[in-house]
Amino acid sequence: MAASVQPSVSGHANAAADKIVLSKVRKVYGGAAGAVEAISSVDLSLPEGQAVSIVGPSGCGKSTLMRLIAGLEAPSSGAITVDGRAVAGPLSDMSIVFQRDLLLDWRNVLDNVLLPAEIKGLNGPQSRQRAGELLKQFGVGDFSRHFPWQLSGGMRQRVAIARSLLPSPSLILMDEPFSALDAMTRDKMNVLLQEVQSASRVTTLLITHSILEAVFVADRVVVMSGRPGRIIDDIAVEFPRPRRLSLRETPEFTAIVGRIRQQFEKTGDLTE
Amino acid sequence: MKAVSLPRDDGSIAAPPDQAVGRSKFVTDILPPLLSAVIGFGLWEGLVRYYAVAPYVLPAPSLVFVELIRNAHYLLTQLGWTVLAAASGVVLAIVLGVLAGALVGLSSTADRMLTPWLVVVHAVPKVVVAPLFLIWFGFGVQSEIFFVVTFTFFPIVVATITGLKSADPDVLQMVRSMGASRTQVLRKIMFPAALPIILSGIKLSISLAPVGAVIGEFVASNQGLGHLLIRAVGDMDTALAFAAVTLFSIFGVLLWRAAEFVEGRLLPWHPSQRG
Repeated sequence: MAASVQPSVSGHANAAADKIVLSKVRKVYGGAAGAVEAISSVDLSLPEGQAVSIVGPSGCGKSTLMRLIAGLEAPSSGAITVDGRAVAGPLSDMSIVFQRDLLLDWRNVLDNVLLPAEIKGLNGPQSRQRAGELLKQFGVGDFSRHFPWQLSGGMRQRVAIARSLLPSPSLILMDEPFSALDAMTRDKMNVLLQEVQSASRVTTLLITHSILEAVFVADRVVVMSGRPGRIIDDIAVEFPRPRRLSLRETPEFTAIVGRIRQQFEKTGDLTE
Repeated sequence: MKAVSLPRDDGSIAAPPDQAVGRSKFVTDILPPLLSAVIGFGLWEGLVRYYAVAPYVLPAPSLVFVELIRNAHYLLTQLGWTVLAAASGVVLAIVLGVLAGALVGLSSTADRMLTPWLVVVHAVPKVVVAPLFLIWFGFGVQSEIFFVVTFTFFPIVVATITGLKSADPDVLQMVRSMGASRTQVLRKIMFPAALPIILSGIKLSISLAPVGAVIGEFVASNQGLGHLLIRAVGDMDTALAFAAVTLFSIFGVLLWRAAEFVEGRLLPWHPSQRG
């Protein structure tokens, strides 16, 4: 199993600079009779400030991996550390962006973005100013008094991302945040995410099943196989930032995409 | 026609000029119910007069109207008593109902201990036990109020329990990942998510409250519309009874409209309130 892993990133050799370290993490759901192994023995290190995509077929346990790192679930065995400390419950300076935007219907856009600050008791004028700036940066500044139902799906997800950035987290976990959006909106969101990440250099983990998206936004793509999930490839993506969508037509980009697709063909995840 | 509506800068569409709107609205929306009312009351009036039906059996609408005007002061005073009892009862029921619902909705122990009681007591037809209130609380407005409470309590409890369970589990998980305390989860997520359902329960209770008050007055009061009805029927003053019923119905409609208005103010974001 370990033989198929092809580590290619040398940047995480120094363990002290690693934001997240997973060692021999395994997750099994269900009782003795119907036990399902979601993840089998994952070793992974994410250096501080890196944008990492995890790509894999549905049911490969990539969302489970994110939930384990977030502290929303505990691994069946193995260890997860963030900033050198073992994860035991939700982390304080982490934000999660989910597939659904999860905006609160009864709050306007501004108050939705302010939710994490309110929960931390930091609902002062500074937070409000920052929320306004984030909304402007995300192109929804004119809609701060609107309610979520008055916005399009893409705009709603922008608000959700602005909300996740409000507390200036040191780690952002994204679980297929754009998979409910149409293709063009999704492209736009990829560019936006990549810009935000380039500017803030916040450690980002993006879970996705789109190979194009995974390669476009990340410094590194971790490829997972179908159930039970394990890492089958780990590819450095060293295109300069900021990136444009035309990058996707370059031979270098296509080569990486092709390599990932071949991995899925090998494991049978792309063949019937 | 050259009436083209172009999107403006803000994306909204300019309404096309249409002077016919006023008239067609009258023809389609206002005229049919008006016509229906005229025909209905006309038939009633005509039949009562043609067959010379005794007023104590079925009074003509014109007679009911005259009676309504002649006794306006008396009727309104009695309505006032009924409204007072109904309002006190329903306010009490809202407080008790939301508290009981919150207890059951938030604590599984309270759920297991109280829910069987609620189910059993709710199954008792309230009207049947109304006379017992006379024994328990005596003759007077207090009996009436307690009866209104029992009559209107359950829709609020049920709505509160359902409402508190209606928060999106993914949203709950998200705010917990943000580090929200139990009180914050309740205040910022569970209660606002429950509010539309609680309010629909309250709305139902408000519409039931005057009925409860009148039943209470049938049994245990010498005031209010319920008492007036019993007396009017005893005197064979059917026209006065009809006048009371008419007033009561008008009040019911106004009450429902008021509840809807308040609901719209509290829930501008809810799908049911989006214009």
